[in-house]
Amino acid sequence: MTNGRTFSFLGPNSAFLNVSMNRTQVMADGTPINAWTFGSGFNNDRSVPSPVIEGIEGQVVTVTLDSMMPHSIHLHGLDVDQANDGVPSTSGYVAQMAMGGFGRVEGYTNLGTPFNYSFVAPHAGTYAYHCHVDTVLHFEMGMYGTVIIRPPDGSTNVAWAGGPAFDKEYIWHLHTFDSSWHQGGGSVSGPGTVRHRPDYFMINGRDGANTLTDPTTAIAAAAGERVLIRTNNMGYQPGLVRLGGLEFQVIASDGRPLPATIVRTELLVAPGERYDLLLQMPPATDRTATVEYYDIRLGGVLGTASTSIQGGDAGGTIFNDDFESGDLSAWSGSVGG
Amino acid sequence: MDRRDFIKQSTLTAAAFGLSGLTNLVARDAHAAAVDVSFAAEGVFKNMVDGASIFTWRFRDLNGFGPGDLSSGLVVMEGDAVDITVYNDLDRPINLEIPGVLEGTPAVAPTGSHTYSFTAPSAGSYFYHDNVNGEIGRAMGLAGPLIVMPADGSNRLYAGGPAFDRQYTLVLHELDDRLNSAVAAGGTYDMSNYEPNYFFVNGLSYPNTAGDGDTLVAMNVGDDVALRFVNTGVITNPMHFHGYHVDVATRNRVPETTVITKDSVLVNIGECVDVMLACNQPGAYPLHTHYVPGVTANGVYVNPYGGALIVMSAS
Repeated sequence: MTNGRTFSFLGPNSAFLNVSMNRTQVMADGTPINAWTFGSGFNNDRSVPSPVIEGIEGQVVTVTLDSMMPHSIHLHGLDVDQANDGVPSTSGYVAQMAMGGFGRVEGYTNLGTPFNYSFVAPHAGTYAYHCHVDTVLHFEMGMYGTVIIRPPDGSTNVAWAGGPAFDKEYIWHLHTFDSSWHQGGGSVSGPGTVRHRPDYFMINGRDGANTLTDPTTAIAAAAGERVLIRTNNMGYQPGLVRLGGLEFQVIASDGRPLPATIVRTELLVAPGERYDLLLQMPPATDRTATVEYYDIRLGGVLGTASTSIQGGDAGGTIFNDDFESGDLSAWSGSVGG
Repeated sequence: MDRRDFIKQSTLTAAAFGLSGLTNLVARDAHAAAVDVSFAAEGVFKNMVDGASIFTWRFRDLNGFGPGDLSSGLVVMEGDAVDITVYNDLDRPINLEIPGVLEGTPAVAPTGSHTYSFTAPSAGSYFYHDNVNGEIGRAMGLAGPLIVMPADGSNRLYAGGPAFDRQYTLVLHELDDRLNSAVAAGGTYDMSNYEPNYFFVNGLSYPNTAGDGDTLVAMNVGDDVALRFVNTGVITNPMHFHGYHVDVATRNRVPETTVITKDSVLVNIGECVDVMLACNQPGAYPLHTHYVPGVTANGVYVNPYGGALIVMSAS
């Protein structure tokens, strides 16, 4: 992969997204799940998540939505202005009719007429986008993706201007499906969309054995290489990320550098959060990384997505900071402490 | 005195208190005051935003109220001598505890009363709740916010801490109507089956959150606004800000030093998280849990009503 990317992307600075509501995601057990997606899906080879959009810090980014059904794009974490926020009651979107709402100031386009969202790209880092129309359902159906903002010089091997460099770059889009919500082509509503009981646990749209070998997720790097993992929780359950016991640096969250890099062996990524992890590949590595999805009471693991970390043939070093593994029962909601 | 008049009076009191936010203050006239309040612990049918009527519990302040639709809530100053007398009108024993301040307190039998006394601790965000009934007490609504302001009278989260122009207390909780039905019938509920279907900020669901002066976050560009998340419920709440990043100032009153600048802030079960928002653009933006089922009222998302979504409006 050029420039260390292990995924394809749209951009920089412009992306055109159509919508499909009749995609099918085939799960590892063979079950076909109806999914709704933007564009041609992640890496053009699967329905969910939606494509990665890239922009360059300080430059104008335009995302165009073309849809024959009411949908929007919320630019999650990008702190765009109200007009471009993608919330139907306040912002612009593709709609059948104008909707009232709090402080509505901007218009909409009719079905089939593209709507342009634009914003000045903020601090380099990891962000997200998703549909904000009837979000509880549209988000679950798969209308979400990752946004990466590159440093002002456009470089793709540095986390931000003056920040850590990396050799390889992965996105781990964390999400789940409650398959009952996908039945009838997304016609479930009301009490059917309040108690979320996921039965598929994914990274980058792959579950079960497929996650272990998915090249967009499974880490392959030489010893000493610095691997950036952009975690992006676009599900409804917190995900506890472990790299098979390997220590990793946490360098940023929600598009902002941490005041000081910290070292962990596990990290809870809550819905809507992004954390950027930096792994320096140790020698002779063969590990299984896991994302345990917890219920919203952190009372128990609902399911796990697993992938592999392999390589590290010779000469690498590992972080040697002392670190005591955390205890989720005492989780403070912070990676500090 | 009606509610709005009380707010006006409270705001005046707040001004004298050196606090320009909209959190209601207990009436007081001196530093290290004696604060005496009485709470009735009682059952009440609460109207959900979708019209459902659900049996809940509450601590009702006999002389006041809390933010939003909450029927109690306290703002005091460090060092205040606080007496809370609880009258138990429920069908089972309860108590009043304040995590980190007042724990392991005596229970009050039905029809009984007890006065819980404490000295207001270090400035920060706290909550009180019944702990005899464990999680069921909080899930039924028997909880409220306790905000302690610095003894120096400053508009800061704590002495020497971040200063603010406005502050809002945002109490997060939720309910599972199956639990409420079981309790209304005099029974109990297996909390391992708890799956909430109504979600609140200050006891309100959207759009009522946007019509309430304590819960609509009104700002001017340039303001530093303190938002105090107080999770009295029994689920985690990943709160996502549109339009702004915020700085996480404290978690359970401990200054945050590790992960500070965020657009999505996890507020854990029983946790108080104070964040600072530097308002840098005008507009109307939602602030909501990203456990998006929590933005619904029993699965109905926002249009025409929903759950734990509030509006921030900046001009």
